[in-house]
Amino acid sequence: MKTIVSAAALVAASLLAIPASAANLVLYTSQPNEDAQATVDGFMTANPDIKVDWVRDGTPKIMAKLQAEIQAGNPVADVLLIADVVTLERLKEDGKLLAYKSPEAAQYDAALYDTDGYYYSTKLITTGIMYNTSAAMKPASWKDLTKPEAKGLVTMPSPLASGAALIHAQTLAAVPGLGWDFYNSLAENGAIAAGGNGAVLKSVASGEKAYGMVVDYLPIREKAKGAPVEFVFPSEGVSAVTEPVGILASTKNADAAKKFVDYVLSEKGQEGFLKLGYIPARNGMKLPEGFPARDTIKVLPIKAADALKNTDQDLKTFSGIYGSN
Amino acid sequence: MHGYIKTGNSQPAWLFPFVVIVVLILSVLPLARLAMVGIAAFADGGVMTVLGEASLWSTTYYTVVTAILGTVISLVIGCLFAFLLTLTDIRAKGLLSFFFVLPMMIPPQVTALAWVQMSGPSSPLLKALHIAPPLGSPQPLYSVGGIALLYGVQHAPLVYLALRAGLMTLPRDGVEAARLSGASSLRVFRDIILPLSLPGIIAGAAISFVSCTGNFGIPAILGIPASIFTLPTLIFTKFSAFTSRTFGDVAVLSAIIAVISVVGLMIQDRALRGRDYRVIGLSGASAAFELGIWRFAFTPLVWVILFFMLAAPFFALLAGALVPAYGVPLTFKTMSLHAFEEILFRQAVTRTAFINSLSLAGATALCLLVVTVLAAYALTRRKDVVSRIVSSLIEIPYSLPGIVMAVSFILVFAAPIPILHVSLYGTIWIILIAYFSSFFAVSLKPVVSAFHQLDPALEEAARLSGAGFFRRLADIIVPLIAPAAGASVILVFLIACNELTISALLWSAGTQTLGVAIYNLDDSGSSDLASALSVLVVLMVVVLMLLLELLAKRLPKGVVPWRG
Repeated sequence: MKTIVSAAALVAASLLAIPASAANLVLYTSQPNEDAQATVDGFMTANPDIKVDWVRDGTPKIMAKLQAEIQAGNPVADVLLIADVVTLERLKEDGKLLAYKSPEAAQYDAALYDTDGYYYSTKLITTGIMYNTSAAMKPASWKDLTKPEAKGLVTMPSPLASGAALIHAQTLAAVPGLGWDFYNSLAENGAIAAGGNGAVLKSVASGEKAYGMVVDYLPIREKAKGAPVEFVFPSEGVSAVTEPVGILASTKNADAAKKFVDYVLSEKGQEGFLKLGYIPARNGMKLPEGFPARDTIKVLPIKAADALKNTDQDLKTFSGIYGSN
Repeated sequence: MHGYIKTGNSQPAWLFPFVVIVVLILSVLPLARLAMVGIAAFADGGVMTVLGEASLWSTTYYTVVTAILGTVISLVIGCLFAFLLTLTDIRAKGLLSFFFVLPMMIPPQVTALAWVQMSGPSSPLLKALHIAPPLGSPQPLYSVGGIALLYGVQHAPLVYLALRAGLMTLPRDGVEAARLSGASSLRVFRDIILPLSLPGIIAGAAISFVSCTGNFGIPAILGIPASIFTLPTLIFTKFSAFTSRTFGDVAVLSAIIAVISVVGLMIQDRALRGRDYRVIGLSGASAAFELGIWRFAFTPLVWVILFFMLAAPFFALLAGALVPAYGVPLTFKTMSLHAFEEILFRQAVTRTAFINSLSLAGATALCLLVVTVLAAYALTRRKDVVSRIVSSLIEIPYSLPGIVMAVSFILVFAAPIPILHVSLYGTIWIILIAYFSSFFAVSLKPVVSAFHQLDPALEEAARLSGAGFFRRLADIIVPLIAPAAGASVILVFLIACNELTISALLWSAGTQTLGVAIYNLDDSGSSDLASALSVLVVLMVVVLMLLLELLAKRLPKGVVPWRG
């Protein structure tokens, strides 16, 4: 009996210890697990007195989690590092973000951050085409994916699971000659949309599908590790997101949160992203290996205000074509 | 003795009310809240919107179809093993039984992950063996058949255990009488054993069906990529796309799952009613049949089935954890421990998840034990209607799918608790309370059976000598039921450790469980990390089961599920 009681006491103590030792900072991010951990580790090395706990999920899903917590009156996150500025712009309009003028902003192109300091872009992530090296056709343009050679072999991330995928769909939908018609003909060609970018990478690298729309760094990085994949920047151009960072207004740790923002924008933080295979947003940084020169990458424009306004409608259009997953 | 002592007053006055209050909080409160939200949704027409969605009906259809197919598969495998391992003289029964029950203890999403790694063009195992299907082949498991197959594998042990319990009490003399009259083995099996084992088979089928309808891990990994949704995964995705209507919608969906489960249990009830299965004579039908020449057919068969249920998926999982990148064939040269390094030494979530799962499971098992000992004492001493109602109220949360309980507790605790102004949603405590509720019945069962074996005279003697309730508890009752209590703790610990369905809805930053960590890693595309973590979890489960096996000699019969 005594051992049981003392064991129970031990367990109870360890349980009590969990909330007590809880992080001073909670980060919600859409970076893949390994990258999120690397970012957090880098920050904690630079700021040993701050402990960071993080949660990773696709941007739409992590935003849903946050919304549910806000409704329950208990938002857990302090800092967001998620795919696109459109989502953060909406939070800003709802008054959910904290303005902070980071001194690091001077090193950034003014188009890359909010003038009031509500959010800052941290990197450039483009969406292009990846293919399995044993695929018969080497795609060079978006339209190649609608060719008969690619019938039933194309996969893409769902905008319901990935923030980059939503921006990508909204970008292509506005390109003359592509538009929603392009998505319709892809669907007619047997393309599917399911899961996030990680699922696309897995599916193409493993040969379940031959072609995929995907964010640049995943296939470039996996190719370096020996995976049978190639990434191409299609001739029409690529869409891009900038993975902004922002602080929630409900944070109880504003100082630590501000340090986190400064860190990811600092040269050191940006070098960390570079090492992971991302194009850093900060001026004067190098490109990761495997990327063509930055001025050769043609980024298709997106009107942020329109994207914000049309998000619900665009999601509905997409779900109408590909089913709601 | 009789005229002097009323059985009722041998327990303190607070005991039974205490048990009733615990049951009210753990069972009645959440389900009543769920019912309220459901009724409110009815009143404002929200139900009609939910019921009008086409996706709901396809989802319900998939839930029922996969559950029925899964139940059939689990019946076939489970019955085969139960008959062979209980009634025949097949060799290495203990070992076979241990291996056969193992899949039940492994988290379903790990099973699904392992089978995915084992089949399809992505399989590192098939690639290493150069028999992978060509480019563009679909993953065969991402289908209704695939989900049903894995339901079958996961739940076959449930059928096995239910049927085996019945077969153990089969009268030996009936079989012997038939034999003496010259009946063949087949005849004995068909005319005596099969009719008498029907209750076990029906009970097994019902448990398997209910577990299939509530399973989340398998349809989440196999169904979502192919747009095949079952009710639990639909609830999960509704939460992933949170809107103001979500709470009402999921309440209705949970109610549908609850109805399907209850219908399943009612069919079982109906099937058993009107039959009388009382048997007389010597029980214990060990080795009623000699396999003889058939040994050479059945022995390889059971080992081959076990190979495909256990060994092959495990090696596929291991292979998936050892490849350096997706799509690279696994050879001794390409093999990499990167995923294990990353998961063990870099990912903070691993440590968080192990700490959370182990302490949640430990706290659930031990705290429940304290309540269970008191509840079992009160319930076995009192034999009135109220105590029977309390017993069945304890059973309900366990027999309902975990996702229903999770939704109920979210509804209870979504808003801060009145008066205290504490919000439990998003903390680890809401998971703990949901675990208490769901696993109360698991914890109670071994302890109640130990109480039934207890001779009340010992305690009465102590009481007559003036020992108080706690003194009797510490000196007489607890030492006598200790083995059963130990088994209860380990069983609850095993189940809670591997749980995903409840925590999938209740987790938040810092409160991820092992089940959630594995699911999220796979969902984010890091299936190498998910596989590595799964391998570690499987090893942990095997170690825990071995511990229980070592303890088994000192336990009452029937407490360790896989032992006779």
